[in-house]
Amino acid sequence: MGKIYEYSVLRVNLTNGEISRENIADERVKKFLGGRGLGSKILADEIDPTIDPLSPENKLIYASGLLTGTAASTGGRYMVITKGPLTGTIASSNSGGFFGAEMRFSGNDIIIFEGKSEKPVYLSIKGEKVELKDATNLWGKKVNETTDQLQAEFGNDQARVSCIGPAGENQVLFASIMNEKHRAAGRSGVGAVMGSKNLKAVIIKADEKQVEYYKDEMMKVVKKQTKMLKEDGVTGEGLPALGTKVLDNIVNSTGLYPSRNFQKSTFDAVDEVSGEALVEKGYLQSNKGCYGCPIRCGRDVKLPNGRSGEGPEYESGWAYGADCGVDDLNAVTEANFICNELGLDTITAGTTIACAMELYEKGYIDKEELENGPELKFGSSEAILYYTRQMAYREGIGDKLAEGSYRLADSKGHPELSMSVKKQELPAYDPRGVQGQGLNYVTSNRGGCHVRGYMISPEVLGVPEKLDPQELKGKPEWVKIFQDLTAVIDGIGMCLFTSFALGADDYNEIVNAGTGFNYTTEELLQAGERIYTLERQFNLDAGIEPVEDILPARFTEEAISDGPQKGVVSHYKELLPEYYQLRGWGEDGRPTAEKLQELGLK
Amino acid sequence: MSIKVKFYSLFRINLKSAGTEFEVEQPVVISQIIKWLDEGYEGYFSKKLLDKNEIRPGSIILVNGKNVLHLNHLQTRVNDGDTVTLFPPSAGG
Repeated sequence: MGKIYEYSVLRVNLTNGEISRENIADERVKKFLGGRGLGSKILADEIDPTIDPLSPENKLIYASGLLTGTAASTGGRYMVITKGPLTGTIASSNSGGFFGAEMRFSGNDIIIFEGKSEKPVYLSIKGEKVELKDATNLWGKKVNETTDQLQAEFGNDQARVSCIGPAGENQVLFASIMNEKHRAAGRSGVGAVMGSKNLKAVIIKADEKQVEYYKDEMMKVVKKQTKMLKEDGVTGEGLPALGTKVLDNIVNSTGLYPSRNFQKSTFDAVDEVSGEALVEKGYLQSNKGCYGCPIRCGRDVKLPNGRSGEGPEYESGWAYGADCGVDDLNAVTEANFICNELGLDTITAGTTIACAMELYEKGYIDKEELENGPELKFGSSEAILYYTRQMAYREGIGDKLAEGSYRLADSKGHPELSMSVKKQELPAYDPRGVQGQGLNYVTSNRGGCHVRGYMISPEVLGVPEKLDPQELKGKPEWVKIFQDLTAVIDGIGMCLFTSFALGADDYNEIVNAGTGFNYTTEELLQAGERIYTLERQFNLDAGIEPVEDILPARFTEEAISDGPQKGVVSHYKELLPEYYQLRGWGEDGRPTAEKLQELGLK
Repeated sequence: MSIKVKFYSLFRINLKSAGTEFEVEQPVVISQIIKWLDEGYEGYFSKKLLDKNEIRPGSIILVNGKNVLHLNHLQTRVNDGDTVTLFPPSAGG
């Protein structure tokens, strides 16, 4: 298709089957980058933010990043953007693997799905041939089965498949969209929106690579950055060897590793479920990489029972392990495999079971409600496997679990036992022990999340420099910069893990080399701020009020009870006013007219 | 009584050891512990943890769960009964 700064858009109307093409060749690409930025701009322009996320009026946007499919290191990522059914906020979920690059190769930089098909369909892109096809015989099939069957029908096992499993079909509010079987656009329920549209899958095989960029200029920068990634201790050695699960022992040793639905902040049995254990027990077969990736943090794992797959990553392993009090790595990994096959977000699935366990142990869920299922007790391997299947199929109490922990706990009269922000569950870091991360959780535009500004990096890991996790001074500014830089990386289509070795200037250098945009680093970061503010404004327009910038009461009213951080609570409320001010938002948490004007959002 | 040293990440995997213990008569500083470990492992610990006699960016040295960068860096004192936890540069998410 066109130059890299021209986005080729495929628009698929599922209601009437019409497929059309358009180009975005104006300043929107430069202002919003690609991926999360441009996709969010399109969504905000085209839908009414107050609609029901599972109605035909919602749109589902697949967006490749600005440098996706180019030679950029890790440049293979795509984003799925929609209004999310779990939170009611804008939802954008990122995935790696090879699908994003194939989208770009095929000349479909963005695909917009609108309306709702009468019967199950999938989108087939074979070179220039684009068709909606009947998916009736795929409906009900797992992610792995769907992928295999589609590739077989397509006649090419190198075709890339992005699809939903039964959880997406059943509109589980935290259903994922999976590509290459194991890579997930995991969070915020993008898979439920896909299911609500009767769209089962997208399969793509490009004839030729239709990606245009300034190759010579870019290759010089790529060479330099690949060397930086390979020589860095984190991206060149730690992540390839141990994957993200290197974090289990770091976070546990520093007393920030939530267990039993955040009732404790360390886990006694961490050695049984850690990244080191995955190696020592012999489950890890090899590491794997996504498109263009020199880091290769993926885990190719085989269990003693012969089952194999990818994972668990740190968050997934924690959600089903420590947060459910389960010390059985075999069961934790199996639960991860089930999530991948059925198409569930591992974080919300595991933590919703953890919440259900606390509700059950406190007597708020009756035994009768479990019908013949295992008791929802912390530490039960049987329970995590059983209820994961139940929630995907909405069977028994699984129908309530499928709504996520907030709606579950609220239905039992105890919403305070859901460890979530804006109804999306928190990831694996206790915010009481890392003050910047707490602020980041409450201001994330898609609710509880660790990939909207990963303050763990400076506050715990010491990258790019070590901050005292309990210090409040300066944290709002760090949070803002991290959030804006993350939005940039998500717009570019590179992996967030590159940021352990690369800084803002490096991203600017590669963007300029590939596109000729001639940004300054400040301008690039302002594009990140623009994306962040656009998302915030969407959420406000959707009726998500700033009073929801709030952590569960547990984190401000109950001090950490164990480990090195014993005695601390979160002070995020003291940081919010300064954060709003730095963002150019009013004291009421709303972007001011001046700020919207400055960012070109009005 | 003794000082317990825990190895994680590449230390644990590459050295095939979960850690060691040192008997001490009086408190010692972190840099001394690294020297003792180097003697047993051919300088591997200072290679991973240090850069020009400072703590290498991204390396994590904890005393009882507190990062020594917020205590007294390599001069942080370690007492009998304390636990030292060591990670080479590590991150994820």
